Amino acid sequence: MEEKKKIYGDNIAIEVNDLWIGYKNIQAYSIKKSLLRLKKVHVEEFQAVRGVSFQVPEGQILGIIGKNGSGKSTMLKALAGIFSPDKGNIDLRGHSVSLLSIGVGFQKEVTGRENILLSGMLLGFSEEEVRAKMPQIIEFADLGKFIDMPVKTYSSGMYSKLAFSITAILETEIMLIDEVLSVGDAKFKKKSYRKMKELISDRNRTVVIVSHSEKTLSELCDKVMWMHEGEIKRIGDPEEVLAEYEEFMQ
Amino acid sequence: MKRFVEDVKKYFDYEVRSAKSVLKTEVANSYLNWIWWILDPLLSMMVYYLVFGIVFKAREPHFIPFLFVGQTMWGFFSKNVTQSVKMIKRNKSIVAKVYIPKFVLLFSNMMVNGVKMMISWIIVLIMMMFFKVHISAYVICYIPILMILVLITFAVCIILMHFGVFLEDLGNVVSIVMQLMFYMSGILYSIEGRMGDYPFAAKLMTYGNPMALLIRDMRNVLLYGQAPAWKALGIWTLVGIFFAFIGVRTIYKNENSYVKVI
Repeated sequence: MEEKKKIYGDNIAIEVNDLWIGYKNIQAYSIKKSLLRLKKVHVEEFQAVRGVSFQVPEGQILGIIGKNGSGKSTMLKALAGIFSPDKGNIDLRGHSVSLLSIGVGFQKEVTGRENILLSGMLLGFSEEEVRAKMPQIIEFADLGKFIDMPVKTYSSGMYSKLAFSITAILETEIMLIDEVLSVGDAKFKKKSYRKMKELISDRNRTVVIVSHSEKTLSELCDKVMWMHEGEIKRIGDPEEVLAEYEEFMQ
Repeated sequence: MKRFVEDVKKYFDYEVRSAKSVLKTEVANSYLNWIWWILDPLLSMMVYYLVFGIVFKAREPHFIPFLFVGQTMWGFFSKNVTQSVKMIKRNKSIVAKVYIPKFVLLFSNMMVNGVKMMISWIIVLIMMMFFKVHISAYVICYIPILMILVLITFAVCIILMHFGVFLEDLGNVVSIVMQLMFYMSGILYSIEGRMGDYPFAAKLMTYGNPMALLIRDMRNVLLYGQAPAWKALGIWTLVGIFFAFIGVRTIYKNENSYVKVI
């Protein structure tokens, strides 16, 4: 962390400049369809994120709120590098990043244990690093003998427990959280929420949380950003922004 | 290009790990385990031998290893090509969760099929010894021919992988084309031996189709002690590099949009 500060001269972890992300022209089509219908298909353009700029200093917790379809999740995916911006840029200053959201990235045929290795390596850790943390992850996930069974045999709860454990134990410098603060049954929910709070409040970690829960955001965040139709409506102190948002929603 | 080399290095461990996991799972999930990797090529070769060797009385010398060489190379090519079309969709859960250069998925799959191909090559070697094939110095050409096979396979796969994301019925087209190619590549017969009366057509079929050329030359160097057609192989290598380059560029340009489509 100190090293990065030296290179960049400031302590910014995430810098977003004039970010535009759209869904356009890229619907899947079939050869059959295009043969049968010769006239050009009308393609609707939809801009999910429109010219958003902001910075998150290292160690800060940024909450994002906004109604459905306001571009929150799209932006989170762009921060994780899964979506590419159509315009503008995102600079993470070389920090490692992971996205925690509903639905997980596993190879279904492969066992839970192997999937821990694979997911960990995709998050940028070496095989040895993941192996070293493996017992901790397995213990936290608490899946019993299922850890050596193919992931396709898992229930949805077990799925999310494993995914949560991987991201929670293999700590990245930037964590992006899409709604998921706790998963699984009542017992695991408590445990995961506690772990999450511990991770989030670590002053070395930069966190971006997308949530609809005003309570969570005001409790956890240093700053809240309110997105509306792809633009930033307000960004600033959680209490003020959330109060305004609540008023707006009514 | 620089980014490609860096990504290949960065994700190499992941590819190996992923290929290992897939192979391990295959072993764990089937009753006969890895014996299938031997049985699979062996049994399909027996079927071809019954039909073409006995019923149609094939006259190609060393017919059994002849068939096996063709079958081994074709198996690697066709498995990779067919699987590449749905590669992104099949890995949706990963692609939608974390950034991964998409050719990494291809490499990993090629490693899985590569291991199976190597087992098949071992069987070829055993057969060559069993049928007392005379081995010449040209055997060394096995390595460059195999490398060209991998290159051509990668070039075809990476381009199909890209279009497979957007074209829903590409899989159907590919399976028909592959079937046609299977019969046109001289896997079950020698193109030049059978088409001797039409030398131009035979030439076109051999040199116009990289698979036909590679299979013929592999048989020539392994079984018949003849030199490969260096010039033609060289040209196909350049074509392969060109399309692989275009493919990698296209993938880099578009890969982050894939997740918006699937």
